[in-house]
Amino acid sequence: MARLDLERVSRHFFGVEALKGLTMSVLPGRVTGLIGPNGAGKTTVVNLITGLLKLTEGRIRLEGEDISELPPHAVARLGVARTFQNIRLLHEASVVENIVAGFHTSDHTSLPAQALGLASVRRVRAGLVQRARELLAEFAMEEYAECLAGELSYGHQRRVEIMRALALAPSVLLLDEPAAGMSDGEADELGAIFRRLADRGLALLVIEHNMRLVMSLCDEMYVLDSGELICSGAPERVRSDPRVIEAYLGGEAC
Amino acid sequence: MTGSLAAYQSLLDLVLLNCGLALSQFVVLRAGVFSVATAGLASIGAYAAGIATLRWGAGAAVGLLAATAAGMLTALLLSLPLARLRGVYQAIATVAMVQIVLSLALYATDVTGGANGLNGVPKLVGTPELAILVLAMVYVLHSLGRSRIGYAFDAIRQDETVAVTLGVSVAGYQALAFGLSGAIAGLTGGLMAYHNRSVVPEEFGFGMLVTVLAYVVLGGRRSVLGPLVGALILSLLPELARPLADNRLIVHGAVLMLVITYLPHGIVDSLQIAIRRRATAASRAQIVGKEAPDGPA
Amino acid sequence: MLAQQTLNALVAGSVYALFALGFTLIFGVHHILNLAHGAVFMWGAFVGLYAVTWLNAPFAVAIVGAAIAAGLLSVALDWVAFRPLRRRGAPEFSAIISSIGAGLILMNAAQRLSQTRVMRYPFGTFPIEVYKVLGLRVTLLQLTIVGSVVFIVAALFAYLFYTGFGRQIRAVAVNQRTASLLGVNPDAVYFQTFFISGALAGVAGVLIGIAFNSVHFLMGEPYMLRAFVVIVLGGLGSIGGAVIAGLLLGLIQTMTIAYVSTDLSDAVIFSLLFLILLVRPTGFFGTLHSQKRVARE
Repeated sequence: MARLDLERVSRHFFGVEALKGLTMSVLPGRVTGLIGPNGAGKTTVVNLITGLLKLTEGRIRLEGEDISELPPHAVARLGVARTFQNIRLLHEASVVENIVAGFHTSDHTSLPAQALGLASVRRVRAGLVQRARELLAEFAMEEYAECLAGELSYGHQRRVEIMRALALAPSVLLLDEPAAGMSDGEADELGAIFRRLADRGLALLVIEHNMRLVMSLCDEMYVLDSGELICSGAPERVRSDPRVIEAYLGGEAC
Repeated sequence: MTGSLAAYQSLLDLVLLNCGLALSQFVVLRAGVFSVATAGLASIGAYAAGIATLRWGAGAAVGLLAATAAGMLTALLLSLPLARLRGVYQAIATVAMVQIVLSLALYATDVTGGANGLNGVPKLVGTPELAILVLAMVYVLHSLGRSRIGYAFDAIRQDETVAVTLGVSVAGYQALAFGLSGAIAGLTGGLMAYHNRSVVPEEFGFGMLVTVLAYVVLGGRRSVLGPLVGALILSLLPELARPLADNRLIVHGAVLMLVITYLPHGIVDSLQIAIRRRATAASRAQIVGKEAPDGPA
Repeated sequence: MLAQQTLNALVAGSVYALFALGFTLIFGVHHILNLAHGAVFMWGAFVGLYAVTWLNAPFAVAIVGAAIAAGLLSVALDWVAFRPLRRRGAPEFSAIISSIGAGLILMNAAQRLSQTRVMRYPFGTFPIEVYKVLGLRVTLLQLTIVGSVVFIVAALFAYLFYTGFGRQIRAVAVNQRTASLLGVNPDAVYFQTFFISGALAGVAGVLIGIAFNSVHFLMGEPYMLRAFVVIVLGGLGSIGGAVIAGLLLGLIQTMTIAYVSTDLSDAVIFSLLFLILLVRPTGFFGTLHSQKRVARE
């Protein structure tokens, strides 16, 4: 259970201001939406939070602690997990192996134990595989366990990526366009999953273009346009805000 | 009779030493580090062992320990600057490192014997010692490969960005890979010194660099069997036919070009992937048979 | 004395620049690290020599012939070593390995052809004339070398920046996909860049061959290694950078040999390479391609 706060976060690179003074919060138990036209800087926000990009200005805090200067692996270890816009799974590995990769931080075996090939190491590994299968069961995908990740349908690959992120036992989950390319039915299923996760106490940030999903799922929303925050609040308020409609060039009928 | 037996034994020794070098190159490539420093690290190990014995009368155990430590420490030192580089730049930096080592070895005549190298190193290791140590290295790498470290290496190699978001410290694990590579190279270099009874600087130059790289390209860089198979094949090839022996450069060159184009994962890894695909095709067929087009079973 | 050394540095540096230009052109435009460049250079030297010794061609003809032959060899190299990889969408690593393999094959072929001998130009191939300029001894050969390089670099600049073909090459360097969508034929560009790169190397090979009166199958190696230094110093992919860095390297090497020690010159040069990779990996004139170098932005 942790909250994520961004305080006047900015990022410039190569003379472009990708993000200008963004202040927002992602609270536990709630689904926060981040929307905006393409190029608005949404993925940049996630990259900044996870440490893949350096801040130019501002602070990012996790439960009050400043994580702005931390390298990406340290941010992940603190319980901030993410998925990627273009699904990044290891295609040559099985579904189970992909999820087990997410359990890296749960494996505390020592270097000597690993080098000597002790039975304890194998037990730990088997345990992680078991936990991966439990996750698969939760998502009703057990029989896909041994399939190569690259052979799955898009929707299933998305779920595997989410499961991998959950393997980190995160308190914050950042989802970058999770419903991209999905049918309404699939997107709704995903939405139900996210709702469940939020109810368990996770702080979810969802970047999405699928307005239907976002409006029905999110507890609050932030709207970016050209790196600036133009509106925030409850979905009903955001939906009817003239600046938001204009940003989407005539807007989508929500 | 004894002549041909001795020939086979010395061939076995050669294969074992080449396996050691191949394992050193393998470790870094598995972790996604494009380092070709093995030849330079082996050189340092060889000199460490040779000097330890010739100058201070050290026995094989101490000498090999010194060689391993020298290789490992040099590699760890190297890993610091190299952590900032990626891809071809790591390759260039490590090629430069091999040249620097060669250059210094040729220059520091008082310490290293200069161009003549070290001679008169006692033969302190024979086939049994070589076999045991190489097997030990294989065992350790195999065990690590199946543990957290091995999987971290795989993640880093396949997608560094993803690895990092899963809590894997790229710099840390790559430094570890470097250190292991250096230790193995150093140890193998020491074994070479005690087996060949001399340390010749040019032996550890660009030629060895390319050959060792060829072992891993041919065999594969994920499974620990890869470098072993690669080293075995390339070491034995010259023995099969005279023309192959005379045209060593062409053989290595052709192997590199053909393998990287048509079998880029190397022999062992390609086989494993093919077996994998077969196995999952079966399980996939089951699922397709069971479920309706939309939604899970 | 210093002035004389500076002149030597200028000559050496010009040749390094010429060699590095071809290398950096390929990298700058196609992001291919062509490690067979040294072998193409060597073959240029071979063709030049054979033109004189077998065909009794005058030196000027030999140099042009060598340039054309090396250019065509370079294009063939692209077809065989790199094109198949492009077709398969192979990663950067594969092209480097393939080029190493191709280089080995080319070197071995040259070794067989020359029977591992060091070959020399017959006496009188190039007129021996010495001039006194500003109190310095300058040979016609030195003038020719520097003059040729200046001419070639100028011609290259003109080609790249003032012709339609050159524009196409530069377009592909920025983004191949976009360029081809705009009507640029990538195959034509590959042909040109590889031909030019090979021709430059060929000319450099002949000049070096006659300057040291020594042509042998391994002559490309030291240049390859120095080319790394030049391109990292000057920035991978930068034409102007390659020229300036080449001259700088000539200066550093000549001064080290003259005032420190011949044996250490290699160590100095490669330590410099290492230092630059750490401190300013983008080189002093690096292009956009420099981005991929370091881990975290």
